[in-house]
Amino acid sequence: MNMPTTARFASALAVCALTAGCAAPGNPDPRDPWEGFNRGVYKFNDTVDRALFKPVAQAYTYVTPQPVRSCVHNVFSNVGDLWAAANSFLQGRGHDFVNTLGRFLFNTTMGVGGCFDVASANGARKIPNDFGTTLGVWGFGQGPYLVLPFFGASSVRDGVGLIGDWQGGIVTYTSPGAVENIRWRNSLWGLDLVDTRASLLDTTDMVDRVALDPYSFVRDAYLQRRAAMVRGTATGDDSLPDYSDDADDAAAPAPGPAPAQPAAPAPKP
Amino acid sequence: MRFTVHSLLQRLCFAAVAGLIAATAAQAKPDPHGAPDKFVLDAANEALSALKADGQLRSGDLARVNQAVDTYILPYVNFRKTTQLAAGRFWRQATPEQQTALADAFRGTLIRTYSGALTGVTQDTTIKLLPFRGDPNADDVVVRSLITQANGQPVGVDYRLEKDPQQGWRIYDMNVEGIWLIQNYRNQFAQQINQSGIDGLIKALNQRNQ
Repeated sequence: MNMPTTARFASALAVCALTAGCAAPGNPDPRDPWEGFNRGVYKFNDTVDRALFKPVAQAYTYVTPQPVRSCVHNVFSNVGDLWAAANSFLQGRGHDFVNTLGRFLFNTTMGVGGCFDVASANGARKIPNDFGTTLGVWGFGQGPYLVLPFFGASSVRDGVGLIGDWQGGIVTYTSPGAVENIRWRNSLWGLDLVDTRASLLDTTDMVDRVALDPYSFVRDAYLQRRAAMVRGTATGDDSLPDYSDDADDAAAPAPGPAPAQPAAPAPKP
Repeated sequence: MRFTVHSLLQRLCFAAVAGLIAATAAQAKPDPHGAPDKFVLDAANEALSALKADGQLRSGDLARVNQAVDTYILPYVNFRKTTQLAAGRFWRQATPEQQTALADAFRGTLIRTYSGALTGVTQDTTIKLLPFRGDPNADDVVVRSLITQANGQPVGVDYRLEKDPQQGWRIYDMNVEGIWLIQNYRNQFAQQINQSGIDGLIKALNQRNQ
């Protein structure tokens, strides 16, 4: 993030703080106490994405043949498996740890340096993992929802987790940050970014199409997904959402602004 | 992290196809009064084969998709319950006409989501059940499955079914990689209703369906 970007971000926040853009909405969610601020950052991210990242990703998709894109994607994903395995280890999920490590070894050798995801083709599913999840497994709560500039949906805990991921990636030589040569490092980062964004083109289009409010759509999906990752594969019936409506307090709020109420059950541990 | 969520949503998009479609079956006639997991598997397999045989459907032709949903999916899915739970306490404040209109509008939204993703289904797409956990005699169960694509990661999809004394098992909620469909619409529904009432929500959904 260079200076001008930071400055622009700061001014965008300032503008947002001074205008209705940051006004707290009428339907507060207990998991999102900073919604006004978060919406401001979300808007900023969205603007930057539409102006810069999305067009670049579209151009990349247009000029690069599918096999090349898939290879690039798999190589990044394969290298990332090492850090994911480390996290499975830290969480005491031995089964996941061995599986992910096996995936890495298999893909690196038989998959020609990770270019082909032969492990998935043979039924060894990728197990996504990161340090934010590790913190969750260790007992840290999610904390308030937080939208980070450029990174997007996160939370206080997962924001801290990102710092861990950053350091972990360098220590285990699995992120471009571990590369010494600056030119190479920046190129790899750029490619990583473009690859990630390109693989999401369909998704973001879908969100635009189906979400009534993309902000809360992404937020609710994020929080649900993170809770599920912390729970791990050992989900039981206790993790099912409880839809019984809390409306025995049937003070019917007419069309006007309704009183604060949790519209969705908070994710259960 | 933003990207992580989005890649999930992308898979949600794909799995939704295989997923909701999975709730179907014309030829095999899955037995809604039998075991819930077998019901889901039969339905899914029949739907997948129908989908694989129909290029027009896969290309996302909306009229065709609507038709397929009516024949294959509707009998096995309780859209009304899905909508009711998504609307939460506001459901009871709605008139019966509003309830029907809302369920129709929401159904349209969901169909549009899936029609865009139908291209993800190929000849290699398969669905496999994961071991059934929980009590098969319960009235409300979860059936877990794994949908495999030719290139790409398999997607975990869970279906939540409720047993109706007359109609037997019917799916009313779906989970893709840890994200439950209804839960993800609850806040948006509440928000919209708070802003512009139930009619406003119906209008907003229908606007997107144009």
